[in-house]
Amino acid sequence: MSSGSRLPRLAGLVAWACLGTTAVPAQQIPAELARQRHEYAEWLATAAVSPFAALVQRPLGGGLTIGPPDTDIPLDSLVQHRLALRNGVVSLEQAGSTRPVARGRPVPLGRYHLVLAGGGPGAAVIVYEAHPNHFTPPTYYPYDPRLVLAVTLRPAERPATRRVLGPDGQDVEASEAGTVAVTVGGAAITLTVRRIPDPDGEESELEIFFRDASNGSGTYPAGRFVRLEPLGVDRFRLDLNRARNPFCAYNTIFACPAPWRGNAFAAAIPAGEQYHGTTP
Amino acid sequence: MIPGSGSWLILLLAAVGMPTPKPTIAGPWRAVLDQAGGPLRFVMRIGGQPGAWTGVLCNGPNCQPFSAIQPRGDSLVFEIADFDATITAVERNDSLFGFYRNVGNRGPRVIPFRAGRGTWAAEPASPALLGRWDATFVSDGRTSPRVVVIRNGATGIEAAFIANSGDYGIFWGGASTTDSLDIGHFDGTFVFRLTARLDGDTLRGVFHAGLRTQTRFTAVRSSGARHLTPPTEITRADTATPFRFAFPDLEGRMVTADDPRVRGHVVLVDIFGSWCSTCHDAAPTLLDLYREYHDRGLEIVGLAYEVSGDSTLDNRLIRRFRDKFGITWPLLRAGINVVEATAATLPQLQGFTAYPTTVFLGRDGRIREVRAGFVGPAAGAQHVRQVEELRGTIERLLKEP
Repeated sequence: MSSGSRLPRLAGLVAWACLGTTAVPAQQIPAELARQRHEYAEWLATAAVSPFAALVQRPLGGGLTIGPPDTDIPLDSLVQHRLALRNGVVSLEQAGSTRPVARGRPVPLGRYHLVLAGGGPGAAVIVYEAHPNHFTPPTYYPYDPRLVLAVTLRPAERPATRRVLGPDGQDVEASEAGTVAVTVGGAAITLTVRRIPDPDGEESELEIFFRDASNGSGTYPAGRFVRLEPLGVDRFRLDLNRARNPFCAYNTIFACPAPWRGNAFAAAIPAGEQYHGTTP
Repeated sequence: MIPGSGSWLILLLAAVGMPTPKPTIAGPWRAVLDQAGGPLRFVMRIGGQPGAWTGVLCNGPNCQPFSAIQPRGDSLVFEIADFDATITAVERNDSLFGFYRNVGNRGPRVIPFRAGRGTWAAEPASPALLGRWDATFVSDGRTSPRVVVIRNGATGIEAAFIANSGDYGIFWGGASTTDSLDIGHFDGTFVFRLTARLDGDTLRGVFHAGLRTQTRFTAVRSSGARHLTPPTEITRADTATPFRFAFPDLEGRMVTADDPRVRGHVVLVDIFGSWCSTCHDAAPTLLDLYREYHDRGLEIVGLAYEVSGDSTLDNRLIRRFRDKFGITWPLLRAGINVVEATAATLPQLQGFTAYPTTVFLGRDGRIREVRAGFVGPAAGAQHVRQVEELRGTIERLLKEP
């Protein structure tokens, strides 16, 4: 992509950064949240693996061919490559050369990037094309400090894990972290919290996938994710202004998580990320 | 003290090739990453001059150079190429403010950064905290064992933090009071901090990882009884047939178990990665063992499992590791550093879990011992005992016919 076509997008970002917060006095939005939103928009606009840049996702199965029109994943201007699964190792083969492919790590392939997502029989291949051309920055409801709640995490009765789709639409083994009880708009609700692990490492996120009455009319129809942020021993901040869309809201190649039982507010939650599309 | 507008001027002057005022950021900086649970300390030491800054990022006594320090707008970008990470900061009033950042598939990983002039004062731990602690981590009702070994070093508290899969590299920091501990490990990618306080005979604390992850633990003074799985019992091996492998060296030549440097020798196979900080901790010990035993028949072969899978890039990283330590034994590019992918290339090992893992072969080529992980020098006596065990294994194998 030329710098010429990149400029309007960046200009849009700047405009969004300047105008997107005009609905409420700027001082009401914590600087850290404004910064976080800016970083996220920049990542969506520029990252090689931005969900907006994803072209196609296919199950890996026993292997796939990529490149010319008669392959499993036809891509313009790419000679034939093969993704092979042997003894549990995925390799990318081309003209006699072979390289192993690690799950979750982008592999450059001409003007594309390839990511092996998920694991085991659910492994899938996602192809990204450099520089998405249909990027629109996220928009947010005005910041509402009444929707910043301090909550106590009540641990799950017994240790358990469950396979769920994470915000990125990939299958992960989440652990049942427990529940938080909150009252929003006069209505009490107990929300399920799951720990979504980072694929390689010690980090994880305590996530709540929830639905509310705004879904389909202002927010994404399938629901939104919000993270718990630690405040102390078992105490967390649940800031519904930080509700964000799953990747399936940005690009239909990503699967949408199924609703989490019980995590449905009867009222609308006009806070956090909005959705202006027409299809789930 | 230089106000923010001063750095603009310096960058402008540097850009047009004018004589520049004296350096503004040279010197040591006591830095922190602000995790949700509090600040994780580290040190940056900057040298050079405007337009040609150099510097190192120090996790306690261990310092690694920044791959580049570049101006961008009114900021400076400290690049940590090994981990595709950056620290971007502006300098104002003799302070640096900004963010540590690397990029994931789910979004940016961004952690607030700040720094002031100087270095952290060495804060030794009180005697009540020193020694070996058996810790139990609790996450969502499930427990897992760790060992924390605390001692006082030249820069204050130094601690080793060990799991069944090996140790996490040196933790370093201080103690604000006689019964508390606040140590961290930031090496450019791992953002770990451990805070704890003595409650009677129990150490209670939190392990902080990244921006938000917090795991509670309790620890009791080690009685000497087994708490972690011994490193020789984690990975099992097929000992009935000779160990087989075939991987390219850095010149692309395939090296196998039939190579004259391997066949008929006592061999220490080091399964490592240039990205693995524990492997960097282990390399000096391997060099000592090689110097001590090579003349008596010990050979070492390094099997490198790297990040990208791209032969050019991975070979470059392996060469850098080789040159850093002056390694003379063969280093082979064996695969990528995903546990299951590594395991698939070594089908005679079962339960592979740790980098580094050390495999000992007898002269008949069969596996005699597999040792998962490496306990670094920060663990003090435990490290010394481990080196003695390695020596014992080599002595025993060299005495075999």
